[in-house]
Amino acid sequence: MSISLEKVTKRFGVTFGVEDVTTLIPSGSLTAILGPSGAGKSTLLRLIGGLVTPDAGRILIDDDDVTFLDPRHRNIGFCFQNYAPFRHMTVAKNVAYGLKVRHRPRAEIADRVAEMLELVRLSDFASRYPAQLSGGEMQRMALARALAIAPRVLLLDEPFGALDAQVRAELRTWIKELHDRIHVTTVLVTHDQNEAMEVADSLIVLNEGRVEQAGSPTDLYDHPASEFVLQFLGPSTTIDGVALRPHDLVIVPTGEGTPATVTEISTLGFEIRIAILLGSGETAWIQQSRAEFDAQPVTIGQSIGITRRDATVSPVGTRLDPRGAADRAPDSAAALTQPTTP
Amino acid sequence: MGGALGVASGSALLMSYLSLIVLIPIAAIAARGLGVTVHTNGWGMAVWHWSASSDFSGFWSNVTQSDSAHAIWLSLWLSLSVAAVNAVFGVVIAMVLVRDSFAGKRLLEGVIDLPFALPTIVAGVVFVYLYGGSSPVHVNLIGTWMGLLVALLFVTLPFSVRAVQPVLESLDSNAEDASRSLGAGGFRTFASVVLPSLLPAILTGFGLAFARAVGEFGSITLIAGGQQTTTTASNLIFNLFAGQNYTRAAAVSVALLVLSLLLLASIGVTSSRIQRRLSL
Amino acid sequence: MTDTVTIVPAARRNRARDPHRRQLLPLRAAALLYVALLVGIPVCFLFGKAFSAGLGTFWNQITQPGAVSALELSAKVAAIVVPVNTIVGVGAGMLLARRQFVGKRLLDLTFDVPIAISPIIIGLSLFLAYSKIGAFGPWLFARGVMLVFSVPGVVLATMAVSLPYVLRSIVPVLIEIGESQEQAARTLGAGMWRRLFTITLPAIRWALLYGIAVTLARSLGEFGAVLVVSGNRAGLTQTLPVYIYSAWDQNFNDVGAFSGAVVLAAISISVLIVLSILRARERRLRVDIA
Repeated sequence: MSISLEKVTKRFGVTFGVEDVTTLIPSGSLTAILGPSGAGKSTLLRLIGGLVTPDAGRILIDDDDVTFLDPRHRNIGFCFQNYAPFRHMTVAKNVAYGLKVRHRPRAEIADRVAEMLELVRLSDFASRYPAQLSGGEMQRMALARALAIAPRVLLLDEPFGALDAQVRAELRTWIKELHDRIHVTTVLVTHDQNEAMEVADSLIVLNEGRVEQAGSPTDLYDHPASEFVLQFLGPSTTIDGVALRPHDLVIVPTGEGTPATVTEISTLGFEIRIAILLGSGETAWIQQSRAEFDAQPVTIGQSIGITRRDATVSPVGTRLDPRGAADRAPDSAAALTQPTTP
Repeated sequence: MGGALGVASGSALLMSYLSLIVLIPIAAIAARGLGVTVHTNGWGMAVWHWSASSDFSGFWSNVTQSDSAHAIWLSLWLSLSVAAVNAVFGVVIAMVLVRDSFAGKRLLEGVIDLPFALPTIVAGVVFVYLYGGSSPVHVNLIGTWMGLLVALLFVTLPFSVRAVQPVLESLDSNAEDASRSLGAGGFRTFASVVLPSLLPAILTGFGLAFARAVGEFGSITLIAGGQQTTTTASNLIFNLFAGQNYTRAAAVSVALLVLSLLLLASIGVTSSRIQRRLSL
Repeated sequence: MTDTVTIVPAARRNRARDPHRRQLLPLRAAALLYVALLVGIPVCFLFGKAFSAGLGTFWNQITQPGAVSALELSAKVAAIVVPVNTIVGVGAGMLLARRQFVGKRLLDLTFDVPIAISPIIIGLSLFLAYSKIGAFGPWLFARGVMLVFSVPGVVLATMAVSLPYVLRSIVPVLIEIGESQEQAARTLGAGMWRRLFTITLPAIRWALLYGIAVTLARSLGEFGAVLVVSGNRAGLTQTLPVYIYSAWDQNFNDVGAFSGAVVLAAISISVLIVLSILRARERRLRVDIA
């Protein structure tokens, strides 16, 4: 089920609003809304979920205009930042809630709840109360509750926000697997670009309420539409007032390119960082692999020339893909997500 | 959206209810007390018209007559004293409830609430039996300000304790530990670290106790013994009402309300000023 | 949860051995003495005397027709006032905790009026608004509506005095639990009433019950406001507190007044016991949430 936003505006005051947002979230995708805090990410999610009504514009889910539809009739699964567990109900009752609202037969509810708890691996916790669950377990319960009603779209607000690093990593992997298994259009909000790049197959970068750029993670990383996107999605450095990726800089003999002096060399495992001082007095840095460095070593104090790596002379030759394919997943995801069948 | 109509009609119903039981009566007593006459237009249900013939000199003479002035003065100083005494004991009792542990603490917890739960007329009857002419402890407080004081201390105690207790519970004990580690003794730590943080809550309790004492009627009407010297403002208002002296009753009510609202407002302002300084 | 249960008493025991705690001994003595003198003695005296006077006399007094009809009226009034003020408190509480609107401050203040103002003044206000000599009285009387010196007047006065308690006890909890559970239920398809009854009310149940218990205690015990608007008509508009007052002050029936006071005290102390159980449960619930 695709989601389409057309010129959607919602103002709250200074921050957290969204301004003239037009974007299409493709059916079956796992989309991350990414941006700094106060950019309006959660507002955008709440607009899709119907918890907030736009001041202007239209929201369509699968060609149905849902702009003014009450959230209870949208058939969406919404997971809240604090999970919003119903504290006076057991895990099973929480998951059953949406089905009871829909007056499903008792036996069907029981089957569906069992199925959902199996899916989120909480079968042994059915009769516990939320207060007896850990953060990660509560998050999975919230997911089961949202998925039980077979929603058209799944909306997750900062799903990894309040969890510790290890649980975050596990849950990330698990959400990707889950998405590969059930293929429900999923939109999640995060402020962590690494998380977004790893989990999502498409990104919407938001800044001050406006969409800076939307597309596949690699596309946005390699072809940022603005300096903001470039800086937000990865390391950056500035040469002659132009921001670019430090691994897009190559060292050339003195006399060619921009003249510079090496001031510091640091080794971070496989990666080498070379700090340089430009003729203009500005500082910048270059990112190289160990192999690149070993092939053409430099020393502190050495005068060098700097130039931007051009697509045509790129030693790897994989940087540009003019089609910017949306179906190309980041490499890291391949190892994580083998579709599994229960 | 969906429930908007329901919410709107619910709000309208709510406002009608509040108007019926609170707002219209308060307007009526203020009008009467200040000498404004109110008429109702005979046939249109919602059409009232007001013809104001305000007479503030009448209001002034009504509240400055010797018995009115005496009653208002008595109510104010008694209530302030009661609120002050219970502010001290409120902190002591709250300290014991929060920091101490002993058998029977649960009972103390419950007993603190008794004056709140006990109907005021019951307290009134008990006090005239206990401290009246046939007192088993041979103390006759009927018709004395001491009698009023005891009754008012009784009914206001829960307000003083319950205002301080939760704040004391949520107090950060690190500051106290820091004070002790710097060599301060228990009393010094209490006076220099605990008490300043409790001050807004103590003032809140003071305000609640004061408001309750100023308005109190049931528990003191019997022990006041019908003497002029022990007639508090609320007692006087009832006596004037019973004597069908409605305009004066309303005037004394308005004066008492204005005075106690001014006092409560200044307590509130002080309290929030201290609160702001604490949270900086 | 089982952890907290086992750890807390141990910590308490250690704290009791703490030398700093010894400094609390004089405070404990002062607190116990003050509460015993001020509250303990009068309450013990009340029940002690009731039993020493003999249960026969006591029973004889409280089965007098005047006392019985007063008790009946008190119960009837409470049966009307408590549900009405519970619904009003929940509705206004949801408005105050969940919505922004013009006049919110006024609504909030209106609920403080009965706490800040003497019951005598509330009674007088009602009288001056709705009695024959009052502002709207003549218009109402012309239509046969008697809101003063009548049972409706007693109900009105009790409503006014016990108005704030449900609201004041649920609003902090409503704000603390936030809106997200209700929103979650909404995305799952639950309508307004279903959300109220399956999510909101269960989440605030202890605070709500506490508020209802206080409202009940206030309704049964209200004296000043009722005394003014009831007209004190024996057998017709006398509630139990007004009956006690008249027995003492006008009929010089000390024993009757005392017996009535014992009954009223017994009822309100039962309510208090329920109340303190609810308070304890609510504290445990707060710990759960934290």
